[in-house]
Amino acid sequence: MKSPLLFILPIILFAGCNRFSNKDEEKNHPKRIISISKQYSEFIFALGAQQNLVAVDISSTYPEAVKKLKTVGYHRALSIESILANKPDLILEDGPESMGPEHVVRQLENLKIPMMSFEIKASNIDSTKLLLNEMGAYFKKEKAADSLGKKLDADMKTALEKAKTYKDKPRVLIIHYGQANNVFFIINNKTGAGNMVKWAGGDMIQAPKGVRQLSAEVVAKSNPDVIILTDFGYDKLGSAEKIGELPGVSSTSAFKNKRVYRFEEHDLLYLGPRTGENVLKLQQLIHRNGQI
Amino acid sequence: MGRYSKQYSSIYPVIIVMLVIVMLVSMRYGAVDLSLDEMYSGMQHMFVPADQTPLAERIFMEIRLPRAILCAIVGAGLAVGGALMQALFRNPIVEPGLVGTSSGAAFGASLYFVIGAAFKYNGGEWTLPLAACAGGIISTALVFVLSQSKHDGKSSIVGLLLTGIAINALFLSGVGFLAYTARDSQARSITFWTLGTLSGANWHSVLIVGISTLLCIAVALRYTKHLNALMIGEEEAQYMGINIRKLKLRILLVNVVMVAISTSFTGVIGFVGLIVPHFLRMLKGSDNRFLIIGSALMGALVLSVADIAARMLLRPAELPLGVVTSIIGVPVFIILLRKKNYYF
Repeated sequence: MKSPLLFILPIILFAGCNRFSNKDEEKNHPKRIISISKQYSEFIFALGAQQNLVAVDISSTYPEAVKKLKTVGYHRALSIESILANKPDLILEDGPESMGPEHVVRQLENLKIPMMSFEIKASNIDSTKLLLNEMGAYFKKEKAADSLGKKLDADMKTALEKAKTYKDKPRVLIIHYGQANNVFFIINNKTGAGNMVKWAGGDMIQAPKGVRQLSAEVVAKSNPDVIILTDFGYDKLGSAEKIGELPGVSSTSAFKNKRVYRFEEHDLLYLGPRTGENVLKLQQLIHRNGQI
Repeated sequence: MGRYSKQYSSIYPVIIVMLVIVMLVSMRYGAVDLSLDEMYSGMQHMFVPADQTPLAERIFMEIRLPRAILCAIVGAGLAVGGALMQALFRNPIVEPGLVGTSSGAAFGASLYFVIGAAFKYNGGEWTLPLAACAGGIISTALVFVLSQSKHDGKSSIVGLLLTGIAINALFLSGVGFLAYTARDSQARSITFWTLGTLSGANWHSVLIVGISTLLCIAVALRYTKHLNALMIGEEEAQYMGINIRKLKLRILLVNVVMVAISTSFTGVIGFVGLIVPHFLRMLKGSDNRFLIIGSALMGALVLSVADIAARMLLRPAELPLGVVTSIIGVPVFIILLRKKNYYF
């Protein structure tokens, strides 16, 4: 008499909990979300889940529509008042390292404003798809996540196959210029950009860890075949001639052969649903549509 | 002296009333405007766990109230620091920011941010203020010692200011170097404070800065008569039985501790210590017995007004407070410098 009851009771309890928690989640699903990760912002728009997004950080610039949302400052220099002005019930951030200053994070914790990051970090194509699925499930946009993942796969396949057809590997240097007092940073090959160049069939010039300020001599000595400037620096300088005036650049074969290009920083450094497209775009630039 | 006390007693209530009004305004307005009701019920729900109260009340209790209080305390400390230094150096245009105290403190604090975690033994919550104090003491001592002339051991105004500039430059480039070598998130924290901001105020910082500042002001008040004697002249003060060396050392120590601890939480906020005591002297005379209290009240008021400006001018973004005080303070400083015949 006792044992069947003992067996059934946990099931009833479990079922009960589950039902309640579902209902709870439905009711408490965040209505005012702030994303301070440009990667998440792009994913949210790609999934079509932007209706509850009220504000983003200032580095979220893709797609165009995201610029219509309010901004809360740079993700490492957030202002507590501008975050609070949006009355958020959820803040999406991609890890403590990319959120700051520390005191604002502490204040948000004290205010008990929920902060969350998704479990999966998109560091390669597979994890990008997994992140798409995770976010798709969170925002109940599984179908959109699925089709974005398929498109990413297809684009990557085309790009990788095309990369095999090129005989030579142009040596690529990526300069991130002008955002801090006209110094320029070289982006190294261990970042997302390193993968992008590799997939596009290029060879990225080695540099110390991360994005570092380097001397002009390193640029001249590395003598790249192709130089890519991130969007901000390229637009600030305005033309290839101006870019040649940057120390070290004019003596490179990239500059002499007029192979200095612009690329969106965001699309180079972060993987996302458009990574396949971006690899194809990069491929066209560094291989000059197949001509050397 | 009695005449001054009467004058000052008439000005205290005015400053206090203004301070209360300004603090209320400062707590009410920001990127989110709060109502008086929300502020009142926030106070009532002081001991209710934060997740059970509405957001507006939490904003008031966790952000606005500590910020307004910290602002008043820091303003008081900086102004008293300025008044003490001016009495000590018998010179109306010195203040903690100009003689290296603030930059030394900022250097000590950034050193803590970059390498502090590497030490096994530290003072817990007090590590940051202690590191800032150490930096402030070293830089102020350097300025003090280096500016003394070889012949008579006295420091001239020009010598003092020039040495201050050199030492400031040294320590601020030290901060810059640390920011350069630091990881990005550390570097951000460092930049935050070379400009000065109150946006990081919380109850913890209110407690530490509050205790240290009030203690230091209390100690300073014990020496006001000695400082008055010193204003007549060092020899004259000695005839009155005052140990000048001891007095200088104590006042300097009190001052550095007070300013360095504020700086470690709020960054470098310049010129408050310059403008406030000077303004009060013009208004009511320079009897230190009343000037110190007056400076504390007036400093709190001035910094609270500056903080409102810092928050409201670009709202919802925020200007660094140090920028606001410099914009107001630099012209005053220049005018004072040009008044050659200035004396107490």
